[in-house]
Amino acid sequence: MKLRKAAAAVLSTAMAVGVLAGAVQVSAAEDITLWYYWENEGHQRALNEMIGTYNSSQDVYAVTAKYVPFADFKKQLSIGASASELPDLVILDSPDHASYASMGIFADITGKFDVSTYYEGPVASATLDDVLYGVPFGCNCLSLYYNRDMFDAAGITEVPQTWDELKETAAKLTTDGVTGLAFCSLQNEEGTFNFVPWLWSTGATSYDINSEAGIRALTFVKDLVDSGAMSKECINWTQGDVMNQFISGNVAMMVNGPWQIPTMRDEAPDLNWDVTLIPKDTEFASVIGGENYAVVAGGNEEGALDFLTYATQKEQVTFMMTQMGYISADSEIASEQFASEEDAVYKKFVDQLEYAQARGPLPEWPEVSDAISLAFNEVMTGSAEPADAAAEAQATIDSVLAR
Amino acid sequence: MDGEKKISGMKNVFLCIVSLAVMCILLFPIYWIFVTSLKTEKEIFQIPPTFWPQALNLKSYAAQVETGDFNMFQSFANSFLISVGATLISVVLSVPASYGIAKFRFKGKKVVLLGFLVTQMLPVAVLLTPMFIMFRNMHMYNTPWAAMLADATIGIPFSVLILKNYFASIPGDLEEAARIDGCNRFAAFIRVLIPIAKPGVMVCAIFSFLYAWGDLAYGMTFILDQQKRPITAGIFNFMGQYGTKWSYLTAFAIVTIIPVAIIFIFMQKYIISGMTSGAVKG
Amino acid sequence: MKRIKQFFRYDNVGWLYVFPAFAYMLYFVGYPILQNIILSFQDVTMRTLTSPDKPFAGLQNYIEIFQDKVFRTSLTNTLVFTVSCLVVQFLIGFALALFFNRNFKIAKPVRGLLMMPWMIPITVTALMFKFIFGTDVGILNYILSSLGLIKENIEWLTTPGTAMFAVICANVWIGIPFNMILISTGLTTIPKELYESASIDGAGKVQTFFKITLPLLRPTIESVLILGFIYTFKVFDLVYVMTGGGPVNSTHMLSTYSYKLSFEMFKYSKGSAVANVLLIILLIVGSFYLRATKEED
Repeated sequence: MKLRKAAAAVLSTAMAVGVLAGAVQVSAAEDITLWYYWENEGHQRALNEMIGTYNSSQDVYAVTAKYVPFADFKKQLSIGASASELPDLVILDSPDHASYASMGIFADITGKFDVSTYYEGPVASATLDDVLYGVPFGCNCLSLYYNRDMFDAAGITEVPQTWDELKETAAKLTTDGVTGLAFCSLQNEEGTFNFVPWLWSTGATSYDINSEAGIRALTFVKDLVDSGAMSKECINWTQGDVMNQFISGNVAMMVNGPWQIPTMRDEAPDLNWDVTLIPKDTEFASVIGGENYAVVAGGNEEGALDFLTYATQKEQVTFMMTQMGYISADSEIASEQFASEEDAVYKKFVDQLEYAQARGPLPEWPEVSDAISLAFNEVMTGSAEPADAAAEAQATIDSVLAR
Repeated sequence: MDGEKKISGMKNVFLCIVSLAVMCILLFPIYWIFVTSLKTEKEIFQIPPTFWPQALNLKSYAAQVETGDFNMFQSFANSFLISVGATLISVVLSVPASYGIAKFRFKGKKVVLLGFLVTQMLPVAVLLTPMFIMFRNMHMYNTPWAAMLADATIGIPFSVLILKNYFASIPGDLEEAARIDGCNRFAAFIRVLIPIAKPGVMVCAIFSFLYAWGDLAYGMTFILDQQKRPITAGIFNFMGQYGTKWSYLTAFAIVTIIPVAIIFIFMQKYIISGMTSGAVKG
Repeated sequence: MKRIKQFFRYDNVGWLYVFPAFAYMLYFVGYPILQNIILSFQDVTMRTLTSPDKPFAGLQNYIEIFQDKVFRTSLTNTLVFTVSCLVVQFLIGFALALFFNRNFKIAKPVRGLLMMPWMIPITVTALMFKFIFGTDVGILNYILSSLGLIKENIEWLTTPGTAMFAVICANVWIGIPFNMILISTGLTTIPKELYESASIDGAGKVQTFFKITLPLLRPTIESVLILGFIYTFKVFDLVYVMTGGGPVNSTHMLSTYSYKLSFEMFKYSKGSAVANVLLIILLIVGSFYLRATKEED
């Protein structure tokens, strides 16, 4: 007993000395702070592990990651910007990148990184007026998930590839208690993210919704809701809620991203599902999501850049992407990802990525996005006809672009 | 209003039953939170909904203790510190203020009252940026002080408005009597009036505490380190950009209720007697 | 010196009691309010947020928001929401306060338990009500249809009118304990002797209520209503989480719209202007309150 106590005392003293020594070492290094918003524990652990290896690989800089919840992230960055109390580095949602870049809070890193092998969309999202304000961290896109067992039960053998086929399939799958299709249709960025693949599939862009093509996209979702093949409640479902409805068997097909896969496997291991391209109107389309790194102007730019150089190396990128279920924004790395059989389903998202575009980039994107999301919400709730909703949205978009 | 007289017999039984029925209806959402916390994500979204989990799922409770940087016990301690601090500031400042308003006809009294009201009128969100800059300049950014001082600004006007009625309802003769006994006005306030106003002070303390306990915006904005944030911040572990984990979120709600409920039960005798023993004799 | 002494003779001593709390509030909240007013007369968007001189915009922001359809909807919504919540929660809270004021066996513990809604983080409450009001998985529709009250599930949160009803319900749920407890404590300030003498005089219950309880409770009622009005009028988290202002902006309030403009659309000055409209309305209501309060000593 005594011996154990003594050993414990020795051990704790040793630890204290060790901690002190560590503290001295750390304080000698320059502190670099990074803000990020992933609440997912696996994501957090992966990031901290990567940072840990960086910190022990050199002793000039010590990076610490601070978690700022997604719901608060934009607010915190705005407040931080007006109080000039910002970190040195942020990992932010790609559609917001242009807005923050226009605040002048990000450093110009043009020419400091080779982004030539990166996918075009993610790089575009970090670029404003030909200046590179960040590096893509990783990306994802949306695809169509479907419940195989429900397909079998309904005698469906062909996966829908066009809108007409999708409508037909969804109608067949809709029974008492099951709706054919669901995708998040919230009246915010998340909803817009899920709507633009349909809009773009018609050939319309985000900026010309009041066209024959734009109205066709709005009419398409209206028909889905009106026919009962899609629940009106989608306007209140987040992508997570949609996934929950899917794994609970209330929904037969859903549009969602690859980040849901770990949760789905965990929560519903017996569910028999697969993924395919989002059915097309005139062309296949999807939307790119994901995060970018940005260096804050006026912070410790050199240190931030040093860390970024490390974090964008193939080894680190592969580690982060694998841990998080993300697709690398570097097409060379992405092509080598997901080699194992178990990860085959992720490959389908890499395929879908070929057809995916980025939103914006435009500092006023939030306003455009708001107009678009209002339009499909009006149509889905029956508050406006597609043509009227499109005209109203177009008026807002035009006034934004005219500025 | 049967006053102090105890109700007994059939009438007592009847009133008890009615009160229990009222309670069941009003607290149903809390029951629903509890049941949801015990279900699996899949069962939560089942149609039709189940009133009791088919398979008990306690995983959600295990996840509460520690998730990433978030440590529940640490967060409880933080919240407790912040709330008690905010309550103390609010009570210490608002008790004399409400007495002053109730018992003195000084110049500018209405302006003062309006001032207390005005400070409550803006939504918290628009106050965040200027307050943030203030706290940073005071070197309080990222310390519990910022949240404590900010949370007290919710409790003070509330307490002043409620307590002034209390002090006003205390008859002037009592104060007179105390003065005849040799107290000066301040001593009379401390020794005679505060004890009489105890139920009001108690209620103000409780609400100030609960306002601070429930605060999310101030705590999140002014404190950056997860280890220093209040318990309410833990909600974001289960509600983020990729959706809500309902069982975890509801388990979180249940876990956060427990300590407050324990404080209430533990102090119930004191709180209830405090709330109802206002022995105002006319 | 003499002047100062003279000022603090008699009733102006009151200032000494009031000053610390007043100064505290002015410092911590008054200054931010002033900043916010200034911001609303500037043109601050993401492009000018970090620049040292912010362009002056005069009344432009105010003019623009009044031309904005969503703002006008938010204004009406806020009024409808506030008045409905206030009336319902006050009446139920008052009734419950009277009920639990009776001295039956479990009155006090049950009344204490009814405070529980206040212990739940408001975000959870909002999410829970969103869930309860769900069309297909919502428990409310399930209960109503089990009882045979409805034939088809009501689309609570996806139809404008019923969505407003749902957020009002959620807010009333939080408001009832607030009203009940404050009125309960208010009731303790009424001397018992008054009731005794009233009953000796042969006054009935209804008469006692209107002749004694109500008049003596007046200051409490005024305070509860004005506080309730302010808190309800600037409601934020509940609506923001539960409906996000939807469907189709039908539950946007001034506070949620102000937040959306400032922190989602980066139109900081417009967001401030919307918040200031809220402030102005509350100021008007507040001054009515002050006019109504009598000198109570």
